[in-house]
Amino acid sequence: MLAGLRRSPGPLIGTLAAAVTAATLSIAALGVATARTPSPLGRLAGADVVVAASTQLQVTTGSGDSAQTETVPLEAYRGVPAELAGHLARVPGVASAIGESGFPDGTVRPGRVDLVAVKAAPGVSADTLTARIRASLHGGAGYTVAAGAARADLADPGLAVEVANGHALGAAVIPILIITAMFTLAATTALSVELRRRRFALLRAVGATRGQVRRAVLAEQALLAVAGGLLGYLPGALLSAVAVRALASHGLFPAGSTAGSSGWFLLLACAVNLPACLLSALLAARRAARTSPARAVREAQAERAWPHPVRLLLGLAAAAGVVVLGVLSLRQNGPGAEVALALPLLAAGMAAVTLLGPALATATAALLRPLASMGPAARLALAGIRRMPRRTASAVIPVALAVGMIGAIAFFNTTVAHAAAVQSGQTVTAGHVLSGNGLDDRVLTAARALPGVRAAAGVTPLSIGVTDPDLEYIGGEAVSAGQLGQLLDLGVASGGLSQLRPGQVALSTAEASSGLMGVHLGSRVTVYLPDGTPYQATVSAVYQRSLALGDVIIPAAVAGGHTGTPQSYGQILVSGGSQRQLAALAAARPGARLASRDLYNAQVAQNASQNTFVNLLILGIIAALAAVTLVNTLVVSTVERRGRVRLLASAGATTRQLAWSFGWQALFVTVIGVASGAAVCAGTLTGLSRAVTGSAAPYIPAGPAALLVTVVAALTLGAVLTSFAAISRRGKRPA
Amino acid sequence: MNTAVLPATAPVVLHEVSKRFGRGRGAVTALDRVSLSLSAGSFTAVLGVSGSGKSTLLQCAAGLDQPTSGTVRLCGAELGRLSDRRRTLLRRQRVGFVFQELNLVPELTVAENIALPLRLGRRHVTRDAIAHAAARVGLRPEQLRRLPSQLSGGQQQRAAIARALVTSPEVIFADEPTGALDPYTADGVMRLLREAAAGTTVVIVTHQPEVTRFCDRAVFLYAGRVDAVTEAPEPAAVAARLHALGQRASGGPR
Repeated sequence: MLAGLRRSPGPLIGTLAAAVTAATLSIAALGVATARTPSPLGRLAGADVVVAASTQLQVTTGSGDSAQTETVPLEAYRGVPAELAGHLARVPGVASAIGESGFPDGTVRPGRVDLVAVKAAPGVSADTLTARIRASLHGGAGYTVAAGAARADLADPGLAVEVANGHALGAAVIPILIITAMFTLAATTALSVELRRRRFALLRAVGATRGQVRRAVLAEQALLAVAGGLLGYLPGALLSAVAVRALASHGLFPAGSTAGSSGWFLLLACAVNLPACLLSALLAARRAARTSPARAVREAQAERAWPHPVRLLLGLAAAAGVVVLGVLSLRQNGPGAEVALALPLLAAGMAAVTLLGPALATATAALLRPLASMGPAARLALAGIRRMPRRTASAVIPVALAVGMIGAIAFFNTTVAHAAAVQSGQTVTAGHVLSGNGLDDRVLTAARALPGVRAAAGVTPLSIGVTDPDLEYIGGEAVSAGQLGQLLDLGVASGGLSQLRPGQVALSTAEASSGLMGVHLGSRVTVYLPDGTPYQATVSAVYQRSLALGDVIIPAAVAGGHTGTPQSYGQILVSGGSQRQLAALAAARPGARLASRDLYNAQVAQNASQNTFVNLLILGIIAALAAVTLVNTLVVSTVERRGRVRLLASAGATTRQLAWSFGWQALFVTVIGVASGAAVCAGTLTGLSRAVTGSAAPYIPAGPAALLVTVVAALTLGAVLTSFAAISRRGKRPA
Repeated sequence: MNTAVLPATAPVVLHEVSKRFGRGRGAVTALDRVSLSLSAGSFTAVLGVSGSGKSTLLQCAAGLDQPTSGTVRLCGAELGRLSDRRRTLLRRQRVGFVFQELNLVPELTVAENIALPLRLGRRHVTRDAIAHAAARVGLRPEQLRRLPSQLSGGQQQRAAIARALVTSPEVIFADEPTGALDPYTADGVMRLLREAAAGTTVVIVTHQPEVTRFCDRAVFLYAGRVDAVTEAPEPAAVAARLHALGQRASGGPR
């Protein structure tokens, strides 16, 4: 039965194209997740074993049976204590242990070194020495002990931190890929089965059992998944090379990084495709197997107007799931929980659209019935949707997917950017802002000394590790001592922010809320500096406006030496003073510049926007999958209707009328898809928007929204009309 | 005829079989308490105007569809008591089918199509067995490697007959097997079916009176009921009866 793949691939091309695209993207993501950065051994070549600090932050929360250990990549490299060299020198078999510093990016605090290079005594193997060193470090927790080729990974610890973050990014894309691949493959598989119902009926009539038909469909889909994996390997490897280069050019990977590649990727890509293909095939195979053998005799009948009760029930359950998750997300106390609910909400919404697609098509056809009066083309198109709701649904699903998923991500970004812009204007009250390089304490002191300056403080954006309750690094700010109240209005809800001293921390209301950290004014908390150093502090202020400066504010004195960069401020905020004198102060520092508050606020809004390269990358991936599925589903379903085109043409329909009929049908598909996708998108955005901005109303700018709908409509109409043109041209060719 | 006592040994027996499609006011009765018995080795044509229930009768008798009420015995088994799987196995092992169109799986070669019921039953398929089945219906060896689309309509029907015969079935059901063929080719196909299926019970649903020339018996359906049964039918008489049934259906003079 699998001969169909070889000799009549038409209905299966859609599934194969989706599988190839999914595999290409999976292999690309794997390539990014395992990208390598060339780090020559350099002066470590002489060392047998190298001991560096771990580039991971490991935190254990709770105790006893409920103890839980979590690990996240560090934001900055902390180095090892200088005295470690002395300790390691005493390990038996060590000839020498020397602390090394001054590696690129390895800016560590005084009293610490980047790593310790250890030489083995004659007759002691590197492996033996590694084991002894680990034992002397009590198992080596918090350290990386490397021998042989692995030493190269430690030659530049700062680089290792960057690479670890880049890898995490690649890995984060994979679940999104799997979800998207599931829905796109579900649509194409359902269509390929639907188009071959009569063939399955014939097989059933001549003696194929339901199990045989089911197994044939499943085997066919498994084969397509594997073929997709194989065909997607090369384009995936190419794409990962391009992606790593692009990520490196945006500073998300060290320069010179190359995408990882391995024969294992083939297996892994198939492993991503297989469950997606097989899960979507399970439903389709069940339907194929249930095809009545009597259909081999009967004329091709219209599909049932309403889906099978089980499908309808499952669809309604998914829709109910969307409502429950939506209500839950609105009742959550903390943004973390709401954001965590966003992906399940999106998936449940897409599942509802997938399952209820045929019912939506039937309902829409009934709703649009008055349009039949617009002429025979519209009447034909409406009849097609009404009589073939499943085929219509196969086309509607990728449209809804494109609008739902792309809309949710894109308009989440615009919602955050818009709220940040509004909030930032209210947050920064300083009249002038110095920004750029070299803004250290001397510049700050000089600024404070200028005549007319009422207050000045330095602020530096940085990532701070929190357990809320999962361990993660979130955006925050380090601020210098100074009259913060005259420079910032963070909407303090409790406590005071006029001064932030070492031992104190300020948290946003969202971060302090019970759903996240669950602390209040006066609580003792432990947060982690970029290099993983724990900072125990008392909550001295809780503030409302967190979009501009982040959710955690710590004193700059505490952060110094723990950020992996030389101690300087990102900006110096100044109240009072004259612009001329401040400009002169900035001019004296190469790389420093003076900006007005408005200009600074615009920059803050830009930074707060999640519209980063990474998000664009994820959007691109989803858009690529959705577009491929959309186009190939429509092409396959249009081409398969060539018999009907011939029939209508012989009955007197002009090519123009037929083109209009296909155009109308594409339009209806677009309308149903955009409407259901927009509903899913709106449901997801409401929760996300409330979580991040406090308002349940997302900000959806008309321009990008119109662009999204236009592109989807153009792809739909383009795919349908181009295929129609091809089949009508072929139909006119003399036999 | 509808209430006759039927011999249980005949390979095809229908007793009080009714089939309704749809529910409520939109329901259509396609078969109305039909009873029929077809003896072993008989060659029977089922005729009637469009909508008289011919194809529905074939589907119910062959176990492709389930009647709404009544019982069907096929090759000695009461179909209503069999699971879907047992019905499928019965069809595969003891029944052959020839349809009007989409008779062959388009992506399988002619040889693969002929071997299909054997392969589905995981039975050993030899090239000789296929060649023999093909030769019985006059297909040349080189035609076996072709796809159905590369054959003429008549050749496709020959391949379908070869497939129906390959398992040496007890009963062959044919639904308008010559409906899409010209009279000359149709005549050839029927002659072939009659010769190749000698000894097998054959049920042919048709609206072509000429087909009955090859049949032992003609069963006329009207409005889902058996209207008449003619032994050794003559095409001219069959045509006249069909004409009369057509006029009855359109409300014209009887």
